[in-house]
Amino acid sequence: MERKKSPVLSSILSLIIPGLGQVYAGSPSRGAAFFTAVAITALLVHWQGNGPLYTGVVVAWLWNVWDAYNLARERRISPALPFLVIALTLYIIGWRVTEINLRRLLTDVADVKPLVSNLFHPAVFERDIEKLVGEVQFESPCSDSPPPKGTPLEDEPYLVFVDKTCGDPGDTFTIEGGNFWPSSKGYIWWSNLAGEMQFRVRYKGNYLTFETDEEGRIPPITVVVQEPFAEAKGKGPQLYRVQARMQREVGSPHLSRTFFLVVEKMIVTIFLALMATTIAIFIAIPISFLAARNLMGGNPISMAIYYIVRTILNIMRSIEPLIMAIIFVVWVGLGPFAGVLALAVHSIAALGKLYSEAVESIDPGPIEAITATGANRLQTIVYAVIPQIVPPYLAFTIYRWDINVRMSTIIGFVGGGGIGYLLQQWIRLLMYKEAGAAVWAIAIVVAIMDYASAKVREIII
Amino acid sequence: MLRIEHLTKIYADGTLALDDVSFEVPDGEFLVVLGLSGAGKSTLLRCINRLIEPTAGRIIWDGTDITAASGEELRQIRRHIGMIFQEFNLVERTSVLTNVLTGRLGYVNPWLSIFHHFPKGEVDRALRNLDRVGIADLAHKRADELSGGQRQRVGIARALMQEPRLMLADEPVASLDPVLAHSILRYLEQLNQEDGITVICSLHFLDLVRRYASHVVGLKNGRVVFQGLPEEITDQRFKEIYGEEAERVTVT
Ligand SMILES: Nc1ncnc2c1ncn2[C@@H]1O[C@H](COP(=O)(O)OP(=O)(O)OP(=O)(O)O)[C@@H](O)[C@H]1O
Ligand SMILES: [Mg+2]
Repeated sequence: MERKKSPVLSSILSLIIPGLGQVYAGSPSRGAAFFTAVAITALLVHWQGNGPLYTGVVVAWLWNVWDAYNLARERRISPALPFLVIALTLYIIGWRVTEINLRRLLTDVADVKPLVSNLFHPAVFERDIEKLVGEVQFESPCSDSPPPKGTPLEDEPYLVFVDKTCGDPGDTFTIEGGNFWPSSKGYIWWSNLAGEMQFRVRYKGNYLTFETDEEGRIPPITVVVQEPFAEAKGKGPQLYRVQARMQREVGSPHLSRTFFLVVEKMIVTIFLALMATTIAIFIAIPISFLAARNLMGGNPISMAIYYIVRTILNIMRSIEPLIMAIIFVVWVGLGPFAGVLALAVHSIAALGKLYSEAVESIDPGPIEAITATGANRLQTIVYAVIPQIVPPYLAFTIYRWDINVRMSTIIGFVGGGGIGYLLQQWIRLLMYKEAGAAVWAIAIVVAIMDYASAKVREIII
Repeated sequence: MLRIEHLTKIYADGTLALDDVSFEVPDGEFLVVLGLSGAGKSTLLRCINRLIEPTAGRIIWDGTDITAASGEELRQIRRHIGMIFQEFNLVERTSVLTNVLTGRLGYVNPWLSIFHHFPKGEVDRALRNLDRVGIADLAHKRADELSGGQRQRVGIARALMQEPRLMLADEPVASLDPVLAHSILRYLEQLNQEDGITVICSLHFLDLVRRYASHVVGLKNGRVVFQGLPEEITDQRFKEIYGEEAERVTVT
């Protein structure tokens, strides 16, 4: 006869530590469940520091006391209420930490418009660009012998100073010019003497533009003297180039440089997938035999090898290829080689597991029959094992190839080379038309490869 | 002569499948092993060619201790012991001819065989053996395209490639319908009578036993409960082997 449990003691225990009363009442797993649920929720609510959310914890805690009381009286009550309360609390926290903000989807939709519209106008075609540049050299701050004002040229684009040719940052000066294309717009550029540091001059936030008259003359424009570049600070008077630039498209559209760059990187990407898959196949095949229980069972040493190989494969498989790529980028540097290594290592683990399962599911009958003829071990593998594993190996390899083609297009995002590297840079530089070309290329290539491998699969399996 | 002495097999999980089994099989005999499912028939047959390692006991064949052989010696012994199986154990997706040729793997150059190369003479031998079991026309079909009866004939042709002196047949007709069962067993009978190959065959049906066996060993729970001529199996004896509730099932 079991000793009666005290409901009061049970409730008090659960009040002190959730679940303890349930353990006392002889339901340790129920107790553990309550403790874990209440403890995790309490910690999360505390971490969020949100007062009202404590209600959920309190409700669950009190309910747990009530449950302990009933358990001691040998009555089990449905835990639906605390379950719902805790679930609700967790979802509220989840909503907050993931910063879900449905309003932004509507209010900020304008931000994404240029991106989307550029994606549909990928930079596949372009026209040649013709440029005109005229320049003067400005000094800042002034020295004893400031530069000359310059003279108009006969038939080349030119600029000349109207008033001063030197000044401090923040001062203004005026320039004018001629021999540009008539009635067209252009921009003023500022650069150091060497020309490697340059930018378009802004005035009150907008780029400083000019428009030529019918004779191609630039009317006087006022330019603000720019702050010196970092390396010229405090070095005394420096010369700067002030340029007026114009450009226009000429000729008929032709395939763009972006297009050829995308094609080139796409080829690299496909080779990246090919190399990774091939390397993985050759390494995964022998490994798959070591990871097959039916081949490795029998003696303790081979069984130990089996467990070690299995464990390594499982660990390797749990590391995402993108993380793997980051490691290899640090190891062998940016570029496709890092991508090949990352995809290969992940594929070895994935294929090793799939292959070994194929080996494990083979019919032992033929092995038995061939062994019985007096064949040696190698002959038995060639005649009884290989014919059985070739079809599943092919199927898994094609499946992996599909995955690797997809992965290879984005492995570049973390520096693994190929089209992804380009795409990621273009997105960062807000070059959405170029990015659009890359996105389309990826979509087309992945679709073609999918279709091709489906066909191959039909034929050989 | 094959002599089995105190053969015992205990599986890794503790199952006692063979319990001190002893009997003799003179050359040229058609020995049928009779017993319920789980009696240990497959275990016994597989101990003879060491597909299963016996736990204790000896198997002596023409003076050679099979249980003591290992490596190359064991393969030499296996070469002369043909085996056919209930589930045929053919390599699917492979041609009938290749399946038959695998019976010769113990004889040919192992390195060449790995590259699927067999001498012309062996291919001819395979075709002759297929002809012998009446399916020469199927040589280039894939094994998985054949019917059950055809598959078992491929199994026999494969075993014949070994030029066996002993043929083990583990319930060779249990997956076949009765008419086919007779046709397969007649091939075994022919090998036994014309080529003098000793046959050890496990069977389920008493009618088949009476028709083909020259000698019978009855197994029950891993023990030998009957040894003698097929005629000696009365209904009473049959019940001893198969248990009280057993009914005689007739195969015509
Ligand atoms: N690999 C194994 N591991 C453990 N026990 C086994 C193994 N193989 C067979 N056994 C057991 O050994 C006993 C004999 O099995 P065996 O297959 O030899 O019987 P059988 O007479 O051939 O039966 P069946 O007519 O069903 O083929 C059975 O109890 C079976 O469950
Ligand atoms: Mg059996």
